[in-house]
Amino acid sequence: MQKTGADRERVLELLTEMGGVTEENVRKIAKLTRVSEAEIWGAGTFYHLINKPGRRMRVCNGLTCRLFGADDVIKKLRAQGKEVTEATCLGQCDRAPAALDEDMKVIDWARQERAVTPANDDLPLNLAGKQDFSFAALEAARKLKPDDIFKLLEESGLQGRGGAGFPAFIKWKGVAGQKDPVHYVVCNGDEAEPATFKDRETMLRRPDKLIEGMAIAACAVGAKEVYFYIRGEFNAEYESVKAALHKAPDSIQNLDWHFHRGHGAYICGEETAMLESMEGKRGMPRLKPPFPHEFGFRGKPTLINNVETFACVPYIIQHGGAKFKAHGRTEAGSKLYCISGHVNKPGVYELPLGATLDELVGVAGGYMGNPMAFSPGGASSGFLPIEKRNVPLDFKGLQKEGSMLGSAGVVVLNDTVDMAKAAQWQLEFFELESCGQCAPCRIGTRYLHNQVSKYLETGDPSALKHAKDVGWEMEEGSICGLGMVAAKPLENAMQYFPKAFEKR
Amino acid sequence: MADTFTITVDGKPVEAHAGEMVLRAAQRAGVHIPTLCDDKRLEPAGACRACLVEIDGQRRLQPSCAWKVAPNQNIKTQETSKRVQRHQDVLVSLYMADHKLDDEGLPVETCNGNGLREWAQECQTLSLDPVEAPRAARPGDKNPYITFQPELCVLCARCTRYCDEVEAVNAITLTGRGSETTIGTAGMRGLLDTSCELCGGCIDTCPTGALVEQKAIEILPHQIERKVRTTCNYCGVGCQMDLNVAKVDGIEQVVRVTSPPPGETVNDGNLCIKGRFAYDFIHHKDRITEPMIRKPDGKLHGVSWDEALKFAAEGMKKVQQRHGPKALGFISSARCTGEENYLMSKVARAAFKTGNVHSCAAT
Repeated sequence: MQKTGADRERVLELLTEMGGVTEENVRKIAKLTRVSEAEIWGAGTFYHLINKPGRRMRVCNGLTCRLFGADDVIKKLRAQGKEVTEATCLGQCDRAPAALDEDMKVIDWARQERAVTPANDDLPLNLAGKQDFSFAALEAARKLKPDDIFKLLEESGLQGRGGAGFPAFIKWKGVAGQKDPVHYVVCNGDEAEPATFKDRETMLRRPDKLIEGMAIAACAVGAKEVYFYIRGEFNAEYESVKAALHKAPDSIQNLDWHFHRGHGAYICGEETAMLESMEGKRGMPRLKPPFPHEFGFRGKPTLINNVETFACVPYIIQHGGAKFKAHGRTEAGSKLYCISGHVNKPGVYELPLGATLDELVGVAGGYMGNPMAFSPGGASSGFLPIEKRNVPLDFKGLQKEGSMLGSAGVVVLNDTVDMAKAAQWQLEFFELESCGQCAPCRIGTRYLHNQVSKYLETGDPSALKHAKDVGWEMEEGSICGLGMVAAKPLENAMQYFPKAFEKR
Repeated sequence: MADTFTITVDGKPVEAHAGEMVLRAAQRAGVHIPTLCDDKRLEPAGACRACLVEIDGQRRLQPSCAWKVAPNQNIKTQETSKRVQRHQDVLVSLYMADHKLDDEGLPVETCNGNGLREWAQECQTLSLDPVEAPRAARPGDKNPYITFQPELCVLCARCTRYCDEVEAVNAITLTGRGSETTIGTAGMRGLLDTSCELCGGCIDTCPTGALVEQKAIEILPHQIERKVRTTCNYCGVGCQMDLNVAKVDGIEQVVRVTSPPPGETVNDGNLCIKGRFAYDFIHHKDRITEPMIRKPDGKLHGVSWDEALKFAAEGMKKVQQRHGPKALGFISSARCTGEENYLMSKVARAAFKTGNVHSCAAT
């Protein structure tokens, strides 16, 4: 029986090609790969894009999309006899309510422009700028010793842009220092944190910077194989990166590039769940330690960074660490902020790290209505009251507030929103996306979602009397970050908006 | 690093062996740490979260089943850590919100025991509303031995890991995601239509009685009067097994067969379908309990072993004299030991001068 190896890694891809999990498909794949039928079934049923056969529309039920009438859209489409699946955040919050057609193409109801910061060559990421295929930074990096590259990264103060804000140079150095001769570089493009769509824009607009950053990483940590894990719903983004790769010089093409498409699981943005998924398994996070820099993809030392993190690297190599750092305010560098919800011009804006909410909303066309609360970094960051509008949106400042910058997916809620309802939506998301491996998260998310729903039905606050204890345990007892933060939206809403949880 | 060193658990010194997990060292020293997903035969999963402890220098609570010992390590369990005790209190309450409870509000007792029930009795539990998780069963499963009760499953995955890591059969798997996660098979087919060998190891490893033996489902552990250790005689391996004896309708009977705990006997806690489930013959009304000979009246009559052996030997000699030794063949049972098989070949070759000898275990 095949446990690991090349055949095992093909299982999910084959299920996708064959049109999803059916008994017949599973039997065929078992013959092809010698992986047991049960394991193929178990892996396939984990992922929303392949867990059942057939094609259907997907309408986003993320926070922003719900604020803009996703529920009505779903009702209307179903009334028309369409088969519609509710999808957890599709990463299209700037065009809410977002939907994908049967071919997974984005349906552009409102024909909204995708707003980004106007072109400015001084900006490290410069999303609206012209793509540059000279790959000068890579050429420069190839002349440097790995240690010099790590030094530049250290000086730049670059923190991982995926959500944890871990200093990039430590990861890079950690992988380079491993004795095992085989090292891998993996780019995490499984952007799925609700309200986050910055990696999407980076892949679409600046794949040049992204693949250059990855190639520099491969050169620095001594990897010959480079893997790119891209969210399954992101087809245009996948094509964009591939097209950029075709235009790249031999120095980049000579690396062994591999693409892994996601199959519909938020948790696979967690780096060890992503590795499991790449190995053809259920995307259940691993116990840490060991961390991926010593035991990663196929058990080998693996450098995993987020799309935006890699895309920052060419600027740092070319202009030096200090110059990148100077783009930040309270912390180093510029940052792509996604803003959606009750603002006039949702989009992705590159601002100094540590900008405030008002600044961000300022460039996003101003508030829509009377702002009441905001979520600074995706569903995982919970909610903050608008009084905290002057807290710098950075990793440390938000942590002090019991929140987090996370993926910098900022959502503004105005005073038309029922905060209990908003908490219910976020909990529904976490319940659906919990991998189910550990009880605090699997049972806790369902319990809290049920209880807040009971409160909304009955108006009786006693439904939530144990919410605090359960939230505490989810943070203490869960294996990974999903369970640790899943109670945050409800906890914050109850803490900052107690009126929304009184007897109704 | 020295092979053996000391760690501290709840302020007391505990001897630890390099490379082992904290839980093992603690268990050896008699320290009680609750656990659901731990089985010595399996790789640690750290999934049930019951065994989380405080470890000096670690910000988060860590699973003692998957955390390696280190010299001078300082560990706190529920005995000395309020944080660990609170964690257990709420966690067990969450498990109970996802579990079938009895009239007293405790996890129900099953024929296979229930580790969650024991653990719940050690904790100050909260009374949480049931979560009613949509965990599917396999209603079409017609296999006569293994029953899955999803309302008792804690998804520790011991059964699926056992099926994979110990038996290498991979008939069952975790399937679905989140609160829908359940123990399934390919196509959610019955076990008879999978690679399952019906060894029943999944029942043996299940900590809560979510997997139980269908035939014995009514008989709870306290009704078992004694366990009789014996050697399985279905083949020559020599697996040890415990015949569980209980009174049924006032008569003492073997009501199930279990394996001795892992690590104690040659079979390391494992049995096969025959050893674990094929015990009906013991009390079967058709069971033959003495040798029999067909007499001239055309009917079988009970006789002594001496008479039976003499009768068989004479009959075979006659065949040999009339048709030669090649007319005879000897087949020994798969239930014979190596020594018995040797004797069988001796009878064939030395006494009856024929090479026609075979054991059904060879096919």
